[in-house]
Amino acid sequence: MRRSSVRRLAVPVIALGLLAPALAACSDEPADLVIYSGRNEDLVEPLLEKLEKELDANVEVRYGDSAELAAQILEEGDKTEAGLFFSQDAGALGALSKEGALTALPQPTLDKVEEAYRGGEGDWVGVSGRVRVLAYNPGKVPTPPDSVHQLTEPEWKGKIGFAPNNASFQAFVTGMRVLEGDDAAREWLKGFKANSPKTYESNTDILEAVDSGEVSAGLINHYYWYEKAAEEGEDKLTAKLHFLPGGDPGGLVNVAGVGLLKGADTKQADYAQQAADYLLGEEAQTYFAEETKEYPLAAGVAPADGLPALDSLEAPRINLGELDSLKETLAMLQEAGLV
Amino acid sequence: MGVSIGKDPGARPVPWLRPPGRVPWALALPAALAAAFALLPLVYLCVRALEQGPGHAWDIVTTERAAQLLGHSIALAAVVVTACLVLGISLAWLTTRTNLPWARGWAVLVTLPLAVPSYVAAFAWLSAVPELSGFTGSALSLTLVSFPYVHLPVAAALRRTDPAQEETARSLGLGTLRTFWRVTLPQLRPAAAGGAVLVALYVLSDFGAVSLMRYDTFTRGIYTSYRASFDRTPAAALSVVLVLLTVALVAAEARTRGRAGYARTGTGTARPADPTSLGKWRAPALGWCAAVSAAAVAFPLATLGYWLAVGNSATWDPARLTETATSTLGVAAAGAALTTVLALPIGVIAARHRGRTAHLLEQAAYAGHALPGITIALSLVFFAVRYAHPLYQELPLLVGAYAVLFLPVAVAATRAAVLQAPPVLEDVARSLGRGPWRVLREITVPLAAPGVAAGAALTFVVCMKELPATLLLRPTGMDTLATRLWTETGTASYAAAAPYAAALILLAAIPSYLLGRHRT
Amino acid sequence: MTELRIEGLTKSYGPQAPRVLDGLDLTVPAGALAAVLGPSGCGKTTLLRIVAGFLRADAGSVTVAERVLSAPGVHLPPERRRIGTVPQEGALFPHLSVARNVAFGLTGVDRTERRRRTDEMLELVGLSGYGARMPHELSGGQQQRIALARALAPRPALVLLDEPFNALDSALRAGVRADVRTALRLSGATAVLVTHDQQEALSTADVVAVVREGRVAQCDTPEQVYRRPADPWVAGFVGDAVLLPATARAGGTAETALGVVPLAEEAGAGRGTVLLRPEQLELTEQASTSAHGTVTDVRFYGHDAMVTVTVEGLAEPVDIRAAGPVAVKPGERTGIRVNGEAVLHRPAVTDHAVK
Repeated sequence: MRRSSVRRLAVPVIALGLLAPALAACSDEPADLVIYSGRNEDLVEPLLEKLEKELDANVEVRYGDSAELAAQILEEGDKTEAGLFFSQDAGALGALSKEGALTALPQPTLDKVEEAYRGGEGDWVGVSGRVRVLAYNPGKVPTPPDSVHQLTEPEWKGKIGFAPNNASFQAFVTGMRVLEGDDAAREWLKGFKANSPKTYESNTDILEAVDSGEVSAGLINHYYWYEKAAEEGEDKLTAKLHFLPGGDPGGLVNVAGVGLLKGADTKQADYAQQAADYLLGEEAQTYFAEETKEYPLAAGVAPADGLPALDSLEAPRINLGELDSLKETLAMLQEAGLV
Repeated sequence: MGVSIGKDPGARPVPWLRPPGRVPWALALPAALAAAFALLPLVYLCVRALEQGPGHAWDIVTTERAAQLLGHSIALAAVVVTACLVLGISLAWLTTRTNLPWARGWAVLVTLPLAVPSYVAAFAWLSAVPELSGFTGSALSLTLVSFPYVHLPVAAALRRTDPAQEETARSLGLGTLRTFWRVTLPQLRPAAAGGAVLVALYVLSDFGAVSLMRYDTFTRGIYTSYRASFDRTPAAALSVVLVLLTVALVAAEARTRGRAGYARTGTGTARPADPTSLGKWRAPALGWCAAVSAAAVAFPLATLGYWLAVGNSATWDPARLTETATSTLGVAAAGAALTTVLALPIGVIAARHRGRTAHLLEQAAYAGHALPGITIALSLVFFAVRYAHPLYQELPLLVGAYAVLFLPVAVAATRAAVLQAPPVLEDVARSLGRGPWRVLREITVPLAAPGVAAGAALTFVVCMKELPATLLLRPTGMDTLATRLWTETGTASYAAAAPYAAALILLAAIPSYLLGRHRT
Repeated sequence: MTELRIEGLTKSYGPQAPRVLDGLDLTVPAGALAAVLGPSGCGKTTLLRIVAGFLRADAGSVTVAERVLSAPGVHLPPERRRIGTVPQEGALFPHLSVARNVAFGLTGVDRTERRRRTDEMLELVGLSGYGARMPHELSGGQQQRIALARALAPRPALVLLDEPFNALDSALRAGVRADVRTALRLSGATAVLVTHDQQEALSTADVVAVVREGRVAQCDTPEQVYRRPADPWVAGFVGDAVLLPATARAGGTAETALGVVPLAEEAGAGRGTVLLRPEQLELTEQASTSAHGTVTDVRFYGHDAMVTVTVEGLAEPVDIRAAGPVAVKPGERTGIRVNGEAVLHRPAVTDHAVK
């Protein structure tokens, strides 16, 4: 029997493999605070490193998908490893709140942000805001529409880009349902679908398409445009943003936020509390404004240059805690044949 | 379902087959432990699915939507399996039995798609041809990453089968094609069926490709259920359906396998077949190999190159890449090792014993394979925080998750390898004073070693690519190439993602390459 | 010393399946080489596997040297039986060298002893100096001899050989057979050889047990089995047989179509069948005998020839083995003379019931 090359490789690999966990298991020092972050590592890692310095504690961050991390937290129950949940959107925080996995935040912390941007039970708080906008190509659309409802008109056939799988788009639809009722939302989706909008995988892709004129307009979050402008230069961008006025559902302001986990031990809880306050403090809020081009929600920090002020936006008034009825939204999207 | 196993009244007794149900404890005990481990997710699913009463769970799985998703999944699995059979068998035959130029090179090349994660393949196709989105794109990308599951065992079987039978068929007046159809193909059935089951389970559990391609399958429904409703009950109830589907598939496969696939009993080894001359089919055959290799290997790599070239997010960090690659290799090696060790007793029993015990053990190993990674991960979260808290979010748990996820891959390889080792050798060793355990160690394992090692290499590759369970169970702060790739594509930083994707594919290509060269 | 005793062994594969072994009894004296001879499907391989401990019997017992190995409620695992096996085609461990194959069963002895015994065994089978080779570097006959050396090395109480010469071509077979016989004799081990080849059984074994449908039809020396078969079936199975309807008479003779033949044993009067071997018949001048027939076929084998003759009053023709030159041609008339003694079986069977 000839010894094959696979076997020659496999034996040391297997030996190594069986040893590796044993070696790795003894290299840990306990963390003072574990953060489960549904926000992308590339976006928030520098901020969380600053946070670690500020707290003078050993902070460990576990990155993942917000919804999956929420499921993990629910599964862990009161034995959770995490002290703080940093969510990409309000929906996951609302779900944890509903299951009683979050602990109430002290009033001074809550009071740092406007009531609209925090959980109804006082157990989570938004730390940065993102606005749904219409990106448009001025070469194709000289005057952008003021409402998403206009996008169902025939003149827009085949000219709009959207990302049906994107959580922000789905939150926008949920917002429409909350604001205008399920029937209106269903009607809009039907009309939207009838206009054969082009689907993209991400907001970035939509923006590229708008910029190149592949589509005339697209539904995205505001910061994609500002990030691209910062990277490539504003003058190089053809695409422009239109903030939808008059409380149009297309102008929804959603937040990324944090909640303190009930299952955390007291030491972690203390650090988690400090971390939440830090994220609402000036340094962190400035970071959101400058680095992620999101809207700061506290500490009086102004948004990045070029962004209209948050209170000038005429965004729809909505309780973000209600955005957790994503299930019905998805059913509706499926029904309309959009996902 | 409902197949009765272990009784085959019509067949002549084969004296060396162990009587049903009598599996030595030295094998049965570790096999039972491994099977119990593999069944952990099922326990969890039942706990969660029945949390709000069986009626509620029943309502969830009997909705029209669930039926529709199931239909989609089954249709996708059927198409991908069929396509994989066509690709896998045709390429295996061309590379082992014909005078195809550069046959060995092609054999290696068509194994490499194993190294390509389904989400990378789907992404590549989607960005090139957006119209593919949906069923077509899902079927295409899943076929192109999973056909080696059929190709590898079929190529091995082709090298093993006795060419004398084909020659006899030729002399009886059958042409090349009809000989292949009537003589060669039936002999390949066990090997192809084993591969087809792995492909089907892979398709059923895949999330990456179908979510990018926006095709609604059962697994996507399960993910959506976690993501949209934050409710674990419907996800669990739906997952139970997947488990049942898996059990049915495995039972069906066991049926096609029948009693075939035993060790050669003739003298010596089979004489290598004289290659069939392709004649005027030479150019089309070459074109076929080239087209498949281009679509399955060159195209995803070219896409990565494109990302690197046009992207503006490139943050070249060789130190981090090296560190990530090293930890990926380590954890994948550990996963492959544990999986192989757990698979060994089950694979041996599946090869050497008939009867209910043997069959149940094998089924248990497969039960979790169609489950989405997130379900397996959450089930291990559930058990670890309750009963093994010190292990939670430590490497051993992640490695354990790999074992649960990929046990069937290693079991299939082990079973095939053990089947090739003549059982009479084990009898002789017993009569020379060795107990069953030592016979396993000194005879069965060394003889099956090349095949078992091939299974380990395959497991190693799939562990490297694994994402959902890795995300949830990795030690906090640890990255694998797959999780980095996920992070970078999450912010659409494709140029930054490209080095990780390239490293993943290239590193996974090494064991894939060895698998392609491996002669069973 | 190492007597093998098998009593009432019964085995079937499944509750509804027919019995493969049906109350088989067999005793092999210590140091003897016994052949278990039977057609395929008679249960001989099953018998071997039960003795070796690979299978459990449904009933009956196996005793070696007064040690009960299998009995109701007793089943010693194969590794504790001290029974060596030599399977078909040798079944050498392909991943071990010849020396390590031979030494495989030598556990619990120190290295020098192991090497000494390995060399001794290699010498016994005439393959000294082959220790470093790998099994696939040996010829089929050499592999078979190594398999025997491996089985004998741990000084087993009993050696079982399962059609060990089947895979060898006929030119090699006789030589290997003789070598194995010599080696077994020198080792003093009791051995059981399973075969379906009559010649092999008769020429190699000290004792031949003919098995039919899960029972021993006859167990005796090769000579006795051949010359005094227990019944017409055994007679036909162990060699060419001429079976003639006969009427026995007092005084130890029987009247047949070939005349009156002497019987080996006084059988009393009555009808029956007598057995003769073709070499007991002789072609003669028509005038010198009362038995006549017509030659229908002559087949030449080198060392002898077989002549088929139809005889008046017999439904089937008889075969006659002619040692010297054959003077007759098909179509010619010939006389037939019977030499030696015949065996009478009762009850009578017609000659075409056999074959």
